[in-house]
Amino acid sequence: MGFLAPWFLAGLAAIALPIYVHLLRQHNVVPLKFSSLMLFEKHMQSAVKRRRLRHLLLLALRVLLLALLALAFANPFVQRDPAAATSGARLEIVAIDRSFSMRADNRLERAKGEALSILSRRPAGGLGQVLAFGATVQLMTQAVDDPAELRAAVQAVESDDSRSSYAELARVLRAIAQSSKLPVQVHLFSDMQKTSLPPSFSDLELAANMTLIPHPLATAGKANWAVESVTAPRRLLDPAKSRVEATVAGFSTPAARRSVSLTVNGRVVETKPADVPASGRARVEFLGLDAPHGFSRCEVRIDSADALAADDAFRFSVERADPRRLLFVHDQRQARSMLYVRAALESSVEASFLIEAVPPGETANLTLSKYSLVLLSDAANLPEAFEAALKGWVRTGGSVFVAAGPGIAARRRVPVSGGAVIDLRYATREGARFRTVATADTAHPALRRAGRLEGVRFYQVAGVEPGDARVLARLDDQTPLLLEQRLGAGKILILASALDNVSNDLPLHAAFVPFIEQAANYLAGGETRAASLTAGSFLELRPEGGAGVAAEVLDPQGKRVLSFAEAAAARGVTLTSPGFYEIRRAAGGRELVAVNADRRESDLEVVPAETLALWQNTGQGGVDAASVREAKPWAMGWYIMLVVLLVAVTEFLFGLRYLAGEEAS
Amino acid sequence: MLQRFLNPAVLAGISGLELVARTVVEGFVAGLHRSPDFGFSQEFAEYRAYSEGDDLRYVDWNVFARTERAYIKRYRGETNTLVTALLDTSGSMGYSSHGVSKLDYARYLCASIFYLAINRQRDGAGVIVFDDEIRHFVAPSTRQGQLMRLLHALEKCEPRARTDFAKPFFHFQQFLHRRGIVMVVSDFYEAPEKIVRSVEPLRHKGSEVVLFHVLDPREIAPKLDEPVLLVDMETADSLEVSPDYARTGYRERIDAHIAAMREQSKAAGLDYFLLDTSRPLDEALREYLSLRAGRM
Repeated sequence: MGFLAPWFLAGLAAIALPIYVHLLRQHNVVPLKFSSLMLFEKHMQSAVKRRRLRHLLLLALRVLLLALLALAFANPFVQRDPAAATSGARLEIVAIDRSFSMRADNRLERAKGEALSILSRRPAGGLGQVLAFGATVQLMTQAVDDPAELRAAVQAVESDDSRSSYAELARVLRAIAQSSKLPVQVHLFSDMQKTSLPPSFSDLELAANMTLIPHPLATAGKANWAVESVTAPRRLLDPAKSRVEATVAGFSTPAARRSVSLTVNGRVVETKPADVPASGRARVEFLGLDAPHGFSRCEVRIDSADALAADDAFRFSVERADPRRLLFVHDQRQARSMLYVRAALESSVEASFLIEAVPPGETANLTLSKYSLVLLSDAANLPEAFEAALKGWVRTGGSVFVAAGPGIAARRRVPVSGGAVIDLRYATREGARFRTVATADTAHPALRRAGRLEGVRFYQVAGVEPGDARVLARLDDQTPLLLEQRLGAGKILILASALDNVSNDLPLHAAFVPFIEQAANYLAGGETRAASLTAGSFLELRPEGGAGVAAEVLDPQGKRVLSFAEAAAARGVTLTSPGFYEIRRAAGGRELVAVNADRRESDLEVVPAETLALWQNTGQGGVDAASVREAKPWAMGWYIMLVVLLVAVTEFLFGLRYLAGEEAS
Repeated sequence: MLQRFLNPAVLAGISGLELVARTVVEGFVAGLHRSPDFGFSQEFAEYRAYSEGDDLRYVDWNVFARTERAYIKRYRGETNTLVTALLDTSGSMGYSSHGVSKLDYARYLCASIFYLAINRQRDGAGVIVFDDEIRHFVAPSTRQGQLMRLLHALEKCEPRARTDFAKPFFHFQQFLHRRGIVMVVSDFYEAPEKIVRSVEPLRHKGSEVVLFHVLDPREIAPKLDEPVLLVDMETADSLEVSPDYARTGYRERIDAHIAAMREQSKAAGLDYFLLDTSRPLDEALREYLSLRAGRM
């Protein structure tokens, strides 16, 4: 017990005031002769006593009011022991790891069995809660005292093939402890994987009133081989040139030779041996991937026969496709731009385009739907009908690359996007011989491998008004160089200069090929993406604001993942289970996505005992909890103020009665 | 009106009791037009049933012979009846809240009645002054100079000592040989049953007994603005009294005391008349005599 502001206790001296006043009143009696006191006698005495008693009550109320007021301002507090305050009551949390690694040795079932055993020993009437955690934490129940509900929740825990995260678990436990006034005891059922620890130990910190009791399902790391990763082309254009590279990893394993097989649509295409060193990695390369047209389900598998068989195979999907068509619209006088673009795309191994070059005047009867991309190379005099058709095509998902050279600058308007061109800027007129790129968004797919376009000299640049377009690169005079504008479901990429080696020397630089290749791939919708995703990944189904057209997702078991409402509006979907997902996007594209469990789960090495002890000690309910426990002060000021209010009202009422009596007399 | 209803405070300014008595009596008699027969007499009035202690000499034997029931013949006072005033001069009678003490008022009352009896009715009058003892005694008489003797006795009265009805009233019976009218003038701070028990034997001698209960208005309705320490004028005891209690509890008790006095006096055949010292004396006398005439 103490006071937060003890100097306010000096206010207790004010108690003397009502006492002084009451004493004065009490002694202020006038002696008066009266004929006889016969009729006063006993009743008189009692009357005076009653009166004094009432006045004493009034005095007591006033003294109490002042004392409480001084006390409230002094703000007393008591050191409250959380455990004592709750007189032994506590919340028992059962947290069960359901990550991918819990598939090994039937660990999840053992965890559930032990959890049920713990719940059966729980004292009756106490609160309990069941959590299941992997990458995220799922509250299987709220804090309840019903044993049947808790048991049912434990039995309902299933593996979600995600990677376990102790940091996420600790975060949720801290939130629970914050909302619960009771001490919390956490029973953690996990295989205690070391890879589940966060990089920063502070993320594991538990709440002050929390006790962590680990129930390890594995005491030492088990030997485990896994196909850690596979690098394969997502789009297969030329089977002869394709290459599949797999990495086989051994965790806590001796050196061994493993047989690695490549399977396409369930058929083993090739098998190779791999010498995996002790607790090391080996690479296996398969040259040539003969897959039929369309999507193929591929898999790299090893013969490991270890504890965790689920990571012995790595799935990936491949799409065998024909080269895409690119419509190159350019002025006949600018043949050099055509030359540079064709050369760049032909030299690329990832992009495969059939380029169809036409002058602006011959575009009237073209069917745009057969093209993946339209490139306008300073094509200033587009027929209006073609431009209108081009706009409509872009709105439905098509893409256009515009190289705004002097021709477009002269017309003061960027085709399709409609953006204004302020002027055509010549570097030499402003004192400098050329301009260079000052800033570039290298995270954008078009610039990711273009090396910031360093060293490229720009002599002529169209001053494009950005409007609502996103500026991806600027020159050193802040002129926008590369802009991206969305139009409906499609994209327009605007380069404020030509591709002819006159306005700039970009075609002569090494950055030109990856820039053209990446930009074309990005615009044509074939941007490079891994051939497989990790379980728990989020896949975008439609761009923002693209609701209305239904998307469809079938999980590895062939069941629809999305409800009808979700299919019409969901931006994306979380891919939780390993296997092949069939995706039909809102824009109409069909896709086969391979999902694999996070391979960090394959490392079954357990958390060292010292680390575990440190984690336990972050909660005050740990081993040294008694020594480090700090009682929380509980301030009583506001409660006393409530009592003050009550006493003040009572004193007021008594005072009114007293005054009424005085006035009547 | 003012002439008829004289303020006791005005009377207090008149030095001589004789003058006071004359002023009062002449004043109210002058205002009487329709009741010329006010006064004291012992003419036959009525029969009443015999009760234990009645003098057998007054039993009407003729009626007894006819009805076999004993009746007492009652008489109105004859012209030469005797009026005896028993004046309480205990300490409590000295209480005053407005200039006229209860004793003064009682003296004016006695003087007025003596004046009325002697000068108007030619009756004999006497006075016994008492507190806890008999302090003065003027035997009832119609002799020359009796009024002056009585007034002199009244003027010598001083409030002192305590009231004790038992002892003086025992002696009164020795002084009062003849039946007549006995006026007891007191504030009666005693238990009503005890007072009545003390006074009742006077009634048994055939005298008519009248109790004049003299009280100050502040005794009937005390007004206190703050707690006071009341000091008993007879015993010097003190008590702290709150305005609250004086307003409620005491009022109930004094009203009950007066009511008990009235009821028990009536039950014992005694006349009872409450006199508030703030009332004009002639008005009070007139009222009393009207009531008395009404009963006769």
